[in-house]
Amino acid sequence: MSFDQNAFIIILTGSMIAISCGLLGAFLMLRKMAMTGDAISHAVLPGIVIAFLISGSRHGLTMVIGAGLVGLIATACIEYLTQKVKLQSDASIGITFTSLFAIGIILITFLANQIDLDQDCVLYGEIAYVPIDLWITKAGTIMGPRTTYLAVINLVLAIAFVSLFYKELKLSTFDPEFAATIGLSTAGVNYGLMGMVSYTTVSSFEAVGAILVVALLVVPPATAFLWTKNLKKLLTVTAILGVLISFLGYYLAYLLNSSIAGAMASVAGVFFFVSVTLNRHQIPRIKSKMRRLREEMA
Amino acid sequence: MIQHIENPVVEVHDLMVSYGQNPVLWNVDLSLPAGSLVGILGPNGAGKSTLIKAIMGLVEANSGYSKLFDQELNQVRNKVSYVPQRESVDWDFPASALDIVMMGTYHHLGLLKRPGKKEKELAMDCLDKVNMKNFAGRQISELSGGQQQRVFIARALAQQAELYFMDEPFAGVDMSTEKALIELFREMTAEGKTVIVVHHDIYSAGKYFDWLIMLNMHLVASGPTAEVLTEELLTKTYGGKLSTLADLGEIIKKSGFNPLKD
Repeated sequence: MSFDQNAFIIILTGSMIAISCGLLGAFLMLRKMAMTGDAISHAVLPGIVIAFLISGSRHGLTMVIGAGLVGLIATACIEYLTQKVKLQSDASIGITFTSLFAIGIILITFLANQIDLDQDCVLYGEIAYVPIDLWITKAGTIMGPRTTYLAVINLVLAIAFVSLFYKELKLSTFDPEFAATIGLSTAGVNYGLMGMVSYTTVSSFEAVGAILVVALLVVPPATAFLWTKNLKKLLTVTAILGVLISFLGYYLAYLLNSSIAGAMASVAGVFFFVSVTLNRHQIPRIKSKMRRLREEMA
Repeated sequence: MIQHIENPVVEVHDLMVSYGQNPVLWNVDLSLPAGSLVGILGPNGAGKSTLIKAIMGLVEANSGYSKLFDQELNQVRNKVSYVPQRESVDWDFPASALDIVMMGTYHHLGLLKRPGKKEKELAMDCLDKVNMKNFAGRQISELSGGQQQRVFIARALAQQAELYFMDEPFAGVDMSTEKALIELFREMTAEGKTVIVVHHDIYSAGKYFDWLIMLNMHLVASGPTAEVLTEELLTKTYGGKLSTLADLGEIIKKSGFNPLKD
């Protein structure tokens, strides 16, 4: 068991990604759109490929913009199919993301000879490489791990988004009809959230891969939901779970000598199932005991 | 019997709404006086909720328009409040009763501003008015149906509007609460506010409301309760003759004829 600089960087980066995903994922879950996160994380592939063709680099702003735009197109597509075509929302999601993902795959294979980009890098990612993927300026100064910087920016933007629009997110998630009647643009909030999810997904791809992004979007909020019925606490618990998942995931992978991202997702799953079991058998009993105590005190 | 008035607070003109190819409201044309307690009566599927949703801009009208305070809805949103049906939201949402009532203060706050102490006090006052002050901190999932309904009404009160649309506020509410709510609505109308309520029960409607709207896909009646609550109009609203309209809709649908396309 060791705790060195590399371990610190990996755990730090993982935690920041987990918190960004969790904060946004909490609202996706409450909107019953958790799988939209999954859809977007796959649908952005053609955006990434096209952005890569334009910029010629696997990193940078073009990728984020390309993916963000396709993410919004995917959201618009899903909305259109559910609202106007009256298709069930899960069917709309399934159709949209598979089609876009397929276009991405075709683009990649079509251009396979020319570009340094493959499905694996998008789907799986490898957080273990974070410490060695350094950001080196043109002058030759080593600034530190590149992905960690991306994660910091992502985290700052995610926290800013959720705290600035907390009231709007809360209202339009709980009661979109009422929100519309007071003149709040529910579509605007929706696209804002989906834009942030697309951006976060892309920003986290290289580090943790698309599948773990989905796990981090869905599992920590779902676990936190079992423990609290207060939105602010839900977000806090989600963030704490994100850090724990990252920390324990790293050491699980260290012990098993396996994929860190995989171990993080597994830890997330274990947290969830433990919470379900505890909630089933323990929580109602603890809660009624607490209530009785409180009533006796009063 | 459709009575029109001068200077109405709500004016609906030639409103027609359909879901897909099924018309739900035909040619609704009415005006409502300010300061009255208005009931919307009609059988299931008569378009009662659709009427207020169309006025609130939540469903699109195929034709016609509505005006509130003689203006477009967007100009007067601050003066209008809408209480949706209780089942339209998921009560497992992580929030307390107070959190929900605070939402009524949001549109006065505007973007980016957070509710503060003033908003909290207002919300507590509103909870008090519906007799729910003791439940302010309670999780909304732990409230009974009637209590959830009262939280919704408290949220509407927190909007401090002039005109209230309430979609089935008495659904799942016990008799004593219903009486208390009617009492509250009476106080509001005495202050010059207008309260429009979708209601199910014909028998209590006569006692509760000053003005009645009877609806069954088309407008059967709109006028002062005493003049409108007649057996003839009730049969027209609920009785045999009205099934013809529904039948007509069915025939139109089967024949593939679609008048809405033009």
